[in-house]
Amino acid sequence: MPPEIVQWFQDTALGTAIRESALVFPVILSLHLTGMGLFGGMILMTDLRILGIALTKHPVSDIVNGLRPWKHLGLTLTATCGILLLWCKAAIYYPNPYLRIKLALFVLIIIHAIVFRGVYRNVADLDRSRVIPGRAKMAAVLSMVLWLGVLTAGRWIGYWEPKAAPVNAAQVN
Amino acid sequence: MALFLAYDPSTNPLNTNEWAFPVCEVLHILGFAIGIGTITMVNIRLLGLGLKKETPAELWKGTFAWTLGGLALVLITGPLIFSSDPNMYLRNQGFRFKITMLVLALIYHYTIYRKVALTKTSGGVAVMAGAVSLLLWMSVIFGGIFIAFL
Repeated sequence: MPPEIVQWFQDTALGTAIRESALVFPVILSLHLTGMGLFGGMILMTDLRILGIALTKHPVSDIVNGLRPWKHLGLTLTATCGILLLWCKAAIYYPNPYLRIKLALFVLIIIHAIVFRGVYRNVADLDRSRVIPGRAKMAAVLSMVLWLGVLTAGRWIGYWEPKAAPVNAAQVN
Repeated sequence: MALFLAYDPSTNPLNTNEWAFPVCEVLHILGFAIGIGTITMVNIRLLGLGLKKETPAELWKGTFAWTLGGLALVLITGPLIFSSDPNMYLRNQGFRFKITMLVLALIYHYTIYRKVALTKTSGGVAVMAGAVSLLLWMSVIFGGIFIAFL
């Protein structure tokens, strides 16, 4: 994406308003974290249930299907806030390598959702099977690894600073 | 109220190691996602919004160990983060608000809320208990974020 485009996003009225408000930016960031706090753990509980580690007294389908709409709500809240946070500082975040890692992980999460679609769609099969199929185990483990990666990369975004631009002799003179 | 600890945090590994502080923060967020996330599952049921195939008591029992584990992770990493700059945190209004709400939330969770979750399956009391819980835990998260902005 050309730098002019990210600069344009940052300079839009919406971007400028969010960035320059002392209140709006932290409120959106708080909602971003609230989304993770309320619903992020449900991704983990879904995966742990599939692996037979947590909530084993309840059928897999009860937990996976019951949590699904709430995970979607959480993802919508967290992603909407994340996009707004990114929007208002698009040019600042653009060169950040951890942002790029985070976005790459989202691509992998989409691929994960497509590849393992069958596991989550036919979750009632897991209620009946006496051993957890390897494919379901793989889906659950990869899901946890990918989301932990997103969390880690996200936190690291805040710690990266661009190297000071080298002084160009021609410009100085 | 003047609060001051005679302690020099400059040799604290959290301030001398580049990775230590963000690792603590990631574990802190992971901890509250597990702790508050599992509490939210019970809340959704108490509020009558979902997970209706289970009773609140079943969900409380099923998530109990995970809630405790998540909160433990938060309560270990929190003081570590605090130790990086105690005097800043003690003076910070966001931090003071957060700790107040956290203490209230923890006491509430293991007394009134526990009792309601284990005995009620629906009704006004259950809804009230879930709403108060949701509000308290969200306040803790908001207070935490505002530490960096006040």
